[in-house]
Amino acid sequence: MQHTRIPEQLPVMEKLKILSDAAKYDVACTSSGTSRGNNGKGIGNCFDAGICHSFAADGRCISLLKILFTNECICNCRYCLNRSSNDVPRATFTPDEICELVMGFYRRNYIEGLFLSSGILNSPDYTMELLYQTLRKLRTEYHFGGYIHVKAIPGADPALIEKTGFLADRMSVNLELPTAEGLRRLAPAKTREKILRPMRQVQNRMEENRNELALYRSAPRFVPAGQSTQMIIGATPESDFQILSVAESLYQKFDLKRVFYSAFVRVNDDSVLPALPGGPPLLREHRLYQADWLLRFYGFEAGELLSEARPNLNVLFDPKCDWALRHLEEFPVEINRASYQTLLRVPGIGVKSAQRIVKARRLGSLDFPDLKRIGVVLKRALYFITCRGKTLYPVKIEEDYITRNLLYVKEKLPPQLQGDVTYRQLSLFDDGMPLSFGEQAELLAAEGQELLTAGADAGGAGRFV
Amino acid sequence: MTTIFVCEDSLDGILTGVYEAWDSRLGHENVRLQTEAEGTLELFCQYRPVRRDLEKAEKVLRTVRRRMGEKAREAVCYAAACTDERKADAIYRLIVLGLSMADGTKAVDCLQNPAVLLVEKLRYKAWHEAERMLGFLRFEELENGVLYARMEPPYAVLPLIAPHFADRLYQENWIIHDLRRGQAAVHRAGGGWFLTEAEALSTLEKEGRSGAEQEFQKLWQAFCSSIAIEERRNPRCQQNLLPLRFRPYMTEFGADRSRTVLN
Repeated sequence: MQHTRIPEQLPVMEKLKILSDAAKYDVACTSSGTSRGNNGKGIGNCFDAGICHSFAADGRCISLLKILFTNECICNCRYCLNRSSNDVPRATFTPDEICELVMGFYRRNYIEGLFLSSGILNSPDYTMELLYQTLRKLRTEYHFGGYIHVKAIPGADPALIEKTGFLADRMSVNLELPTAEGLRRLAPAKTREKILRPMRQVQNRMEENRNELALYRSAPRFVPAGQSTQMIIGATPESDFQILSVAESLYQKFDLKRVFYSAFVRVNDDSVLPALPGGPPLLREHRLYQADWLLRFYGFEAGELLSEARPNLNVLFDPKCDWALRHLEEFPVEINRASYQTLLRVPGIGVKSAQRIVKARRLGSLDFPDLKRIGVVLKRALYFITCRGKTLYPVKIEEDYITRNLLYVKEKLPPQLQGDVTYRQLSLFDDGMPLSFGEQAELLAAEGQELLTAGADAGGAGRFV
Repeated sequence: MTTIFVCEDSLDGILTGVYEAWDSRLGHENVRLQTEAEGTLELFCQYRPVRRDLEKAEKVLRTVRRRMGEKAREAVCYAAACTDERKADAIYRLIVLGLSMADGTKAVDCLQNPAVLLVEKLRYKAWHEAERMLGFLRFEELENGVLYARMEPPYAVLPLIAPHFADRLYQENWIIHDLRRGQAAVHRAGGGWFLTEAEALSTLEKEGRSGAEQEFQKLWQAFCSSIAIEERRNPRCQQNLLPLRFRPYMTEFGADRSRTVLN
C-alpha cells in the first residue's frame, strides 16, 4: 500500500465547489435498488425505491453527494473538462474530509448517500486504493449505512475493485462513447477492452455473490444495487440504432441495471468536437431514455424500434407511438381480452395502467370511462383500442389519419420544432377531422351517464343481500 | 332515514366510526360516515357523534389486516391522512366490501367500485406527499445536539414518515414539527418515537443553532448551486418536481430565497 501525503491547501468549501462542479457531468444520481435497515450501531438505511432530496436548477434530482475524489487526471480525453491539458483549478479531498461531509449532510437529511468518482491521480491502482480507503473509513469507522455509488477505475487491480465492491451499493464504469471507434478518436488513453474488463468482473462477482447468498443468508453482499454505465450522446456521429443496440447488449450480456445517456455539452474548445449551436441534444437524449424504458419494462427489442434503414428515432413521436404507427396491422386491441404484453405495447398505456387493467377486468368488463379513471391517456390510446368491441368514437385505423390526429394532440416539443410541423395541408372537405377536447369530454360524460343509470337499475335493493 | 356518524378527523377516529356504524345494525345502506367540522347539515337524517376509542379502532384495523391483507391496511391508513371529505365513508365502504368477499384481499383491486377507487386515489396522494417529505425534510442541529425539522404538509403525514426517520437516525435525538397541525414526533437516541402536541415546542423555532450548523448549511448551498449544469438550465422542470410550497423550510432555498431558482 502506498502512503503519499495528499497536499491540503484549500479549505473544504473550495474543494467542494471545485469537485462537485467537476462531477456534475456524471448523470447517475439514483439511490434505488437496495433495501437495508439500520445496523443498530450507526446511522443510515436504504430505501428500495430511492429518495430524491432536492432538484437543481437544471431539473435533475439531487439524491447523492456527487463529488470527485480528485480532479487531477493523467488522461487527456478530448470531451472532458478535467483533461490534463486544461488549465482548471485542481483539488483533492482527503478520505476524512469526505467522511465528515457525508455524515454532516446525511444527518440533516440533505442526501441519501455518496456518489464518489475520481480523476486518475498517478495511476489507476493508486486512485482505486484511495477510493477504497474512503469507503472503508466511512463504513467501518463512521458506521455509515446509507447508499454508496462508486466508480470502478478501468485498469485498476481486480483485487482492489473486489474489495471496494463489498463496501458499495452500486458500482459503475463509464462506457464514455458508444463505439470503440469514437473512443479511439476522443479518448485515446482508453480502450473498449479496458472499460469492459472491470464491468465483466463486477458482473461475474455479483453472480457468484448471489450463489453465496443463497447458501448463507448473512454472507457479505457485493454491489447489491447492481452496476450502471453512461454514454455521451452527440459527441461522435453514431446513430440512435447503434446506441440502442449497445445498450441492449449491455443489459443482456453484462446484466446492467441502468444505462444512462448524457447529452454532450461542449466544455472544451476542441477541433475534434462537434459544434452545437442549439445547445446540448436534449430532445434526442429524451427519446433515447424513452426507448431505453421500452427495452427494459415493455418487452421491446432494439431491432423492433429501429433498423439500419431507419437508424434514428422520430423526434415528433415517442418511440412507442412511432412503432405502433408502423404496425397498425396489430391494432386495435380489445382491452377486455388482450394479454398484458399486448396492452403494454399500446401508446397511452403504461406499466401501471396495464397492471390496473389486468386486475380490474377480472372483476368485470371495462369501458372507456373506466379506462380514463384507471389512468390511460385516452387522447393517445383511443386510436389503438376497443372496449367491448367498440372504439370510443368512429376512427379510421389508417396511418395518415392517426398521425395527423396525434400531432394535433401536440406533445410539448422544443420551440424550434413547433413551427414547422405541417404534416399535411388542410383539406376543404371533411375527411375525419379530430374531435376537440370539448367534444371528447362530452362524449365521455354521456357514456358515463349511461353507465351510471344502468348501474342503478342493476344494483338497487339486492346489492347487500 | 339515514344515520350519519360524525367521527374525529384522524385514523383512530374514522376506524371507531366504522366500528360504531357497523355495530349499530342499521344496515349498511342506511348509515354514512363523516368527519368532523363540515359545514352544511342535511335535513332528514340523524347525526350521531362518535367518540374516539383506541380499542375499537385497533380491532377494526386488525380485522382489516387479517381479512383484507397488508395492502388494504396501508390503503386505509394513508387514505385517512388526506383531507378529502368523502374519505371516512369511502373507507367504510371498502371495509364492507372486503369483509363481504370470500377473498378480502381482492377488495383493493375492485377499482370499478367508486369507493375503492377513491380510497386508492387518496392513498396514492398521501403516499406521494409522504414520499416527497422523506426527501425534502431538513433537519437543523440545535445547540444541545438535537436535530429539529419543521414542515407544513397539507396531509397528516407525520405518523407515516416518522418510522422511516426512527430507523435511519436511530442514534440521534430528533424532533419533527408539523406546524400546521401543532403536532410533533419526538425520538430519543437508541429508543422509540412518539407523537405529541407541540405547544411546548414553540420556543424551539427561535432557539439557537449549533456552531457547525451554519457551516454545513453554507456547504450544502454551495453544493446545490455548483451541481447544476448551466447549459441544461430548466427552472420549469425544477419547479414541477419541487413545488414552491416545500421551499420555505429547505436549507438550499431558505425562507428568503423561496421564490428564487437555485443558481
